[in-house]
Amino acid sequence: MRYIASLLGGAALLLSAVVGANAAATPERISVTGELIDTWCHVTEIMYALGTAHHKCAIWCAVGGIPVSVLGEDGTLYMVLKIEGDDRSVANDRIIRIQTHQVTVEGDLYVRDGVNYLVVNQVADDHGIVNLTHEDYGIQPFGE
Amino acid sequence: MTRTLLAALAATLMLHGSATAADSWGIEFEEVVREKAKVVDLLCEVTGECAGNCGDGSRQLGLLFDDGRLVPVVKNFDIFAGATADLLQFCGKRVEADGLMINDPQMPIFALQFKRLAPDGPWSRANQWGKNWSQANGGQAVNQWFRNDDTVNELLEADGVFGIRGLEPEE
Repeated sequence: MRYIASLLGGAALLLSAVVGANAAATPERISVTGELIDTWCHVTEIMYALGTAHHKCAIWCAVGGIPVSVLGEDGTLYMVLKIEGDDRSVANDRIIRIQTHQVTVEGDLYVRDGVNYLVVNQVADDHGIVNLTHEDYGIQPFGE
Repeated sequence: MTRTLLAALAATLMLHGSATAADSWGIEFEEVVREKAKVVDLLCEVTGECAGNCGDGSRQLGLLFDDGRLVPVVKNFDIFAGATADLLQFCGKRVEADGLMINDPQMPIFALQFKRLAPDGPWSRANQWGKNWSQANGGQAVNQWFRNDDTVNELLEADGVFGIRGLEPEE
């Protein structure tokens, strides 16, 4: 009996260790307003990467599978991993079709190793593209 | 900035297919690295919501380094393309990743240039996305894929290059 209890106890410990190793951090429920942007171009500043001037390139990059992020009004960047129940974050057609839009999203924020990962539960508002940057920056990156 | 872009494009277009170590792109905060890590599905790793085979290419992937750091891999060696197609074959496995670790305070990211199964698999350039695109598009060359892609062209024809219907570039 003692042997069985010990065995069960060991199994329980092992199970809790496995579950613990895979346990995710507790998210913070947030609401963010900002522009959907291409993560690579924006972070690297390899070109001007906001608004209408960069929309064409942002479409290329999103279709090419580069992660899309929300650039909050305070400059904080949130990488989108899921949107409204859809767990596709590579070339997601919904995200591609609202690329560069100014949106307000509600979701769960997970912060890990300096990256803000966002699970978007709801796109609460979509203002379309409002950041008119092309007059100053033309069409990025090739000018046509 | 323009010089950086040109250097990056030159590296992408001119060195495509060669098998050397990663090239610097002159990006702020970049570090040329070759390091072993486990390939993970980011959504699974950070939220616990997992899918078979890392989502079969539909999810963004990352590198989980031996020191516990998780870094999203956002770019491969094809122009305007991500790295999921390159890393998917290694889902849950350890790879040696050769590329640029960009320790930007806004968001640390990794740009993959070469990869291999650790510890001693064959090296290959991180250009699987382009190979897949070419195969799906009748063997077209990938270096101008963004001008010849049906989805891209449909979107740009519908909404224009600025994304706003009726707003066109000045002649």
